[in-house]
Amino acid sequence: MGTLPGVIDHVGLDPQAAAGLHVDLDWLPYRSNFRDPVIARRAIDAQGHPLAHGEIAIDLAQVDQARFEAQVTEALRSLRAGSTNQDPAYVRLDQEFKPLRESVIWQFNRLFWQRLNEWQSASGRGSEAVPGETSDANNPQSIEDNVADFWTLLRDLDARGQLPAEIFALEIGVGTGERAAAWLDRFKELDEQCGGLYYSRLRFLLGDYSPATLEAALAAVHRHAPIVAVLSLDALNPFKTLSFLRFKILYIHLTNVYDNLPFDEMVRRGEGLYLVEVRPYLDAAAVQRLTTEHARDAEQLTDTMKRLLEGGPEAVHQDRAKGVAFWRCLWHALRLEERLRAVDPAESDHLPSGLSRSYLEDLLAGAPADARFQLSRGAAESFANTVPLLHPRGFLQVQDVFVTAMDAYRQEFSGPGKVDGSIVSSVNGALLRAVASRAGFDVHFAPFRYRAGSRTSVLYTTPRD
Amino acid sequence: MTLPILPTTVIGSYSMPSWLEHAKNDFLQRRVSRHDLDEMYDSARKAAIKDQETAGIDIVTDGELQRDNMIDYFAERIPGVQIDHSSKRFYYDYYESTVRSKLASGSLGLAGEVKFLRRYTDHPIKVAISGPHTLVKRIQNLHYPSEEAFALDLARVMNLELKELARLGATYLQIDEPYYSGFPEDLPWAIRAVNTMVEGVDAKLVLHVCYGNRYGKPSWEGTYRYLFPTILDAKVHLISLEFARRGDEDLQLFNEFKVPFAVGLGVVDVKTTEVESATLVADRIRRALKVLPADRLVITPDCGCVHLPRDVAFEKLCAMVEGTRQVRKELG
Repeated sequence: MGTLPGVIDHVGLDPQAAAGLHVDLDWLPYRSNFRDPVIARRAIDAQGHPLAHGEIAIDLAQVDQARFEAQVTEALRSLRAGSTNQDPAYVRLDQEFKPLRESVIWQFNRLFWQRLNEWQSASGRGSEAVPGETSDANNPQSIEDNVADFWTLLRDLDARGQLPAEIFALEIGVGTGERAAAWLDRFKELDEQCGGLYYSRLRFLLGDYSPATLEAALAAVHRHAPIVAVLSLDALNPFKTLSFLRFKILYIHLTNVYDNLPFDEMVRRGEGLYLVEVRPYLDAAAVQRLTTEHARDAEQLTDTMKRLLEGGPEAVHQDRAKGVAFWRCLWHALRLEERLRAVDPAESDHLPSGLSRSYLEDLLAGAPADARFQLSRGAAESFANTVPLLHPRGFLQVQDVFVTAMDAYRQEFSGPGKVDGSIVSSVNGALLRAVASRAGFDVHFAPFRYRAGSRTSVLYTTPRD
Repeated sequence: MTLPILPTTVIGSYSMPSWLEHAKNDFLQRRVSRHDLDEMYDSARKAAIKDQETAGIDIVTDGELQRDNMIDYFAERIPGVQIDHSSKRFYYDYYESTVRSKLASGSLGLAGEVKFLRRYTDHPIKVAISGPHTLVKRIQNLHYPSEEAFALDLARVMNLELKELARLGATYLQIDEPYYSGFPEDLPWAIRAVNTMVEGVDAKLVLHVCYGNRYGKPSWEGTYRYLFPTILDAKVHLISLEFARRGDEDLQLFNEFKVPFAVGLGVVDVKTTEVESATLVADRIRRALKVLPADRLVITPDCGCVHLPRDVAFEKLCAMVEGTRQVRKELG
C-alpha cells in the first residue's frame, strides 16, 4: 500500500479525483472469478454524468507482488478524466454497461445447467462438477432430522384436528432426485415405525424448470411413484404454476437454488448509494488463447459468444466436443469491468418487482456506511412467490450460503465467483428477512451442523404474528 | 334507512393506501407529526366511506385506517395496559404490551369513530372491536391468574365502551375473534367473555370468527365444527364467518345445529387479488339459501380488505353488491 501515494502522483490523477479515491482491499475466496487482480471503478450519477468518486479494488488473493505497481498504475490511469481505459488488445463482449442481473453471465449460467452433461463429459469429473451435489443437501443425518421435524408437525396438527386429508410437500430444484429419494425413504420408514399414519396421504411434488432434470429425478424416486408428481416450474415464481395449492403445502425445500438466481450488487459509500454496472471483456492473454487454440478471429468473438449462448456448443463448432472446449475456455476467461451508477433515492427501478423502497431502507438501516452487498432480487422474488403456497403451519427450508447480517458484508467478499460453468455467490439473508417480515414470516438461519467447516446455512420460516 | 333483504356490509377494514403506510412508519420514526397523521387518517376514512357507499354497501364502517393492527389500537387505549413504544419500527408489527395490575374502568375513546361515521354517512354504521380472547393472546399478562380471568375483566371494561357506542348511535357493534380457530379449547370461557362484553348493550351485535388475516394470510386451517355447540350460547344477533376462500362445506353445520342468530356469509375472498364475478357471488349466496333463510343472512367479504389494493377492494365490493342484487331479484 505504501506504493499508492507515489503511483497517484506519477499517474497524475487530478486532485479532486485523488481526494475522492476509494481503495477496496478484497480477498476473493473463489479461485475462478470475474475480476482481474486490480480493477478500477468509475462512478456516474443517475443521469450518466461522471462523478468525482472513483475506486480501485485489489484482490489480495490474486495479486502478484511483482506486477502490483504496474497494475495499480494501469487502474489509476483508467480513472483519469478522458481516459479510454484498457489495453487495445482487450475485447469487449458487450459495449454497454448493464446491471449485473442483465449481464451475459446469466446466459452462461443457464447454458451450464441446460448442457450439464456435456460440461461434465468434458471436465471428466462426472457429477462432482455439479455444485448442488457437492453441497450438504444429501447429508443423511440432516435428512433424518428434517423428516423427524416434519413428522412431528403432522402429528401435532393431527392431534388438533387440523391436518388436511392430503399432505403436500414440495422440493424446488431437484438436482438428481437423490435428496428427495432419501427423504421419502426416511419418511416412509419413520411413518411405518409410528403406525403408518401419514405416508399414504403424502403428495410429494418435485419442481424444476428442466424437463430432463425432472425425468432423471422421477427415476430416482421410483420407489415412491404413487405419491410423487413432477412439475415444470420457474423457481422465480412457483406460485404461478401451483396457485391451486395456495396455503396448502406443509413443507417446501430448496437447496442451492437461490444462489443461482439473478442478483444485483449495490455499493454504499457514506451517504451515497450506487448500483454496480458491469461490462464483460476478455483480456489480451485470453484473446490470444481463444484465437490461437480455438482458431477464432478476435473481431468475431462477440458474435461467436452470442451463437454459443443461443445455440449451444454445436452452434460454434461442428465438432461438439470442440464447441464445449471453446465454451469452457471462454467462460474461464470472462471478466467483468465495473462502474458505479448513483441511485436516485426516489427511483425504484433497481428494486425487484413487488419490493418497495422501504425494504431497502430497512436493509440500509442495519448496514455499515461503507459496504458492497448483493441485492438478491431473484432469491427475494422466489421467496415472495413461494410463501403464499405455505399452509398456515407449514414451513419453508432453504439450504444455501447466506450473509445473514448486513454488517457481515464488510468482512468478506460474497461473490460472484465461478464454480465450473455456473455462478456462485452468497445470498443476502438480511434482505430475505426484510421481505419475509412484510409477508408474514420470520426467517431464521441455522448453521449446517452436520459437517465441520460447512459454509451452508439453513434458512427456515416460522409464521410471524 | 331501511335495510333490504340480504343486507351487505364489510367486515371492518378497507384497503390501506401505501402512502398511509409510509406515513404511519414515518410517524413511528418521528418524521410525521400526530396532527398531520390524524388529518391523513380523516381523509382516508372519508374516502373509505365514500367507496363503500359508491359500491352500494348497506352497512358501512370507517375502514379502520387509523388502526395499526387489531391489537395495538385497543391495547393503547385499555386503562392499565402498558405499551413499550420503542418496540416497533413497522406500523403493522405489534407493540410489546403488558398488563401488570387490575384494569381500571375507563373510556377507550372509541366514541370518535361513531361520531365520525355519523357525520359522514346516512347509512347504518358498524364499529368493530377486537374481542377479549384475541387481546388476551397478544397482551402479556403479569397480573391475572389465568387467561380466562384476564379476558373476563377486559370484557367488563369493554362492556362500558360498547354501551357508550350504542348510545351514540352505532347500529352494529362487531366483536372480532380470529384466534378462536387457533385455540378451540378456549371457546367455553371465550364465549363467556363475549357475553360479559355485550350484556345490556343496545345495538345489533355481531361476532366475527375467521381463520386469521394477518399479513393477508390465514393463521390456521380446519373446520368451523369446533365452534359447535358452544357458540350457540353467544348472546349476539349475528355470527360472521368466512366461506369464500375455504369453501362452503361448513354451511352444513347450520343443518345440524339450529342457530339462534343470523349468519354473516363471507362470499368474497380477501386473500387474493382476483376479483370474483357477481355471478359467482350470487351462486355462493344461493347455496347458502339452501341451508338458511334469506332473512337470516347478511352478505360480507370473508374478512377485512386491509391487505387488498384499493382498486381490487372496490371491485370486489361492487361484485359482492351486484351478486347480492341478482339474488334479491330472484327472491322478489
